[in-house]
Amino acid sequence: MSRLGIFVDRKTLSSAEQLNALIHCRDVAEGMGHNADFIFPVDIQKIAKMDALFIRARTDPMNVTYVAAKMAEFHGIPVIDDPRSIQVCGDKINMYSRLMKKGISLPETVFLSKKDLTVERVMELFDSLGSPLILKEPSTSFSTRVERVRDVSEFFRVARRFIKLSDWIVVQQYIESRYDWRVGVLDGKLLYACKYTIPSVTFKIQASVNGHIVYCGVESVRPGDIPPHVIQTGIDASNAIGHGLYGVDIKNNNGDAYVIEVNDNPSLESGEDQYYPDLYGKIVTHLFAK
Amino acid sequence: MASGIWDTAAQSNPAGARERASHLMNRRLQTDENPVLADFLTPVQAAPACGAIALPAERAIVLSESIPAGTFQKKNGVRSTGKREQALTRDAQFIIRRNGEYHVIAESYFYKTEPYYTILSLEYEGKQVKPASSAVLDAYVTPICLERAKAGGVPVCEWGISQAYVPLPAILYGLSYYATNADYAVVKDQVAAKDRIRHITNNGKYPFCFQKFPEGAEVLECTAIFGKTCNADGSIASHASILYEIFGLPLVKMVFVNDAGSYSLSSLSPLRYSQLTEQERAILCAHISAQESL
Repeated sequence: MSRLGIFVDRKTLSSAEQLNALIHCRDVAEGMGHNADFIFPVDIQKIAKMDALFIRARTDPMNVTYVAAKMAEFHGIPVIDDPRSIQVCGDKINMYSRLMKKGISLPETVFLSKKDLTVERVMELFDSLGSPLILKEPSTSFSTRVERVRDVSEFFRVARRFIKLSDWIVVQQYIESRYDWRVGVLDGKLLYACKYTIPSVTFKIQASVNGHIVYCGVESVRPGDIPPHVIQTGIDASNAIGHGLYGVDIKNNNGDAYVIEVNDNPSLESGEDQYYPDLYGKIVTHLFAK
Repeated sequence: MASGIWDTAAQSNPAGARERASHLMNRRLQTDENPVLADFLTPVQAAPACGAIALPAERAIVLSESIPAGTFQKKNGVRSTGKREQALTRDAQFIIRRNGEYHVIAESYFYKTEPYYTILSLEYEGKQVKPASSAVLDAYVTPICLERAKAGGVPVCEWGISQAYVPLPAILYGLSYYATNADYAVVKDQVAAKDRIRHITNNGKYPFCFQKFPEGAEVLECTAIFGKTCNADGSIASHASILYEIFGLPLVKMVFVNDAGSYSLSSLSPLRYSQLTEQERAILCAHISAQESL
């Protein structure tokens, strides 16, 4: 009987939705004849005793999830997310560089270093990319450090805040849309797809508005209802990163699909899998097939 | 040789020096005098179909041939670059090319810093770079650093991860983006441990890494420059060499626990040029100027 380790942390378990999703994952694994154990950071040495590891905590190359992924790699244990995917997806400079290299369609994107942060350069960016612009701190997740700026002073106000966290930041052309496609891909194959409907009070999938957090709506979409070029773009983008599990955010604007980002460790707890009941089964099968 | 790159005015203004160096390098490129540099300064990648991509162009570029010949002198028996050492200013970054590999020299290679992105850019250009971006991450995340060092044959401290409890005495390291290995602490009582843990975990938000610290042991910090140490114990010198093979960090502070003459690696961390001894500065400068016969 194979042992699946599900790496979690306190934050993961603090959400009822996440907890339900994790228990569902464990039940699926056990239903397939495997043992499934939750592994907490303090138990990280137990990873060596597992046959596969599924990380379900917020990943970052500088936090304990990266240690977990590397521990699995050291012991030759199949892992989602693998360290390379965490390194690439955790840093938007790295991720966009990878996507650019593979010719994936993106909004026009510029990397701006601390030293390039001058009025002249910012004016050039508005001239070339239009207004508004989107600024991203490279390790943002859940849209926390993504801002829309409309003029030079606003650009500097946001950029100076981001530059404290990273020597390079991302400047992107703004593409308007009411929703993002989220295409879930596992090992280069479509796993699920859904729409994240952007709240009318903001331009991103999650935002703090007047002190309240507003979340996007999640609508699972059947495979036949997804535009084929959106699926293909999602698969191409995930293949540019690796062969693990990814959630690709795509804006479909006037028939053109633009990749907004590729997420490792994509959310699976908000109804993304409504029309994909075998989602966890495929993940478990994939892990043990390696 | 573009001697103007290292003139006195440039030294008094490092940022200006970098700009001037970059300008002169580019001017030389325009005359096609130097195909190696032309290759080096090629943009990271072509723009994708969707639009123009621009990468930050500024880099502190100091290739081996940039230091004027005949400016060396002896210091403590080590050939030094004399006035040229003033270039080792805070945050200065150097790229040297040796045997087809690019070496990025900086005080810190911390995630999302200029040196980290310089390495990443070179990797995307298809260049062989030391240190690699993945090695940099591994080196600065203590548990991974220790596991890789152990696999390479370096004795390491026994480590664990905790949210609150720690067996005492212990060395504590933060384990999050907001922590740096340079900020470690040896704690020997519960009060000190509790205070320190609160600090490095951001009030319990993140886990931390602890290492058992034997009674009577002491911490030893040692600098390694391209895997070499100055006046270090023989076993530490050997460990430095192995650690350089593993991580490729040109400049690193090694922290060891000395337990009755037995040294175990505790961590690798960045260090400031200002922390270098005169002898270490001279060696680093000699490397920057590509003096391979050290």
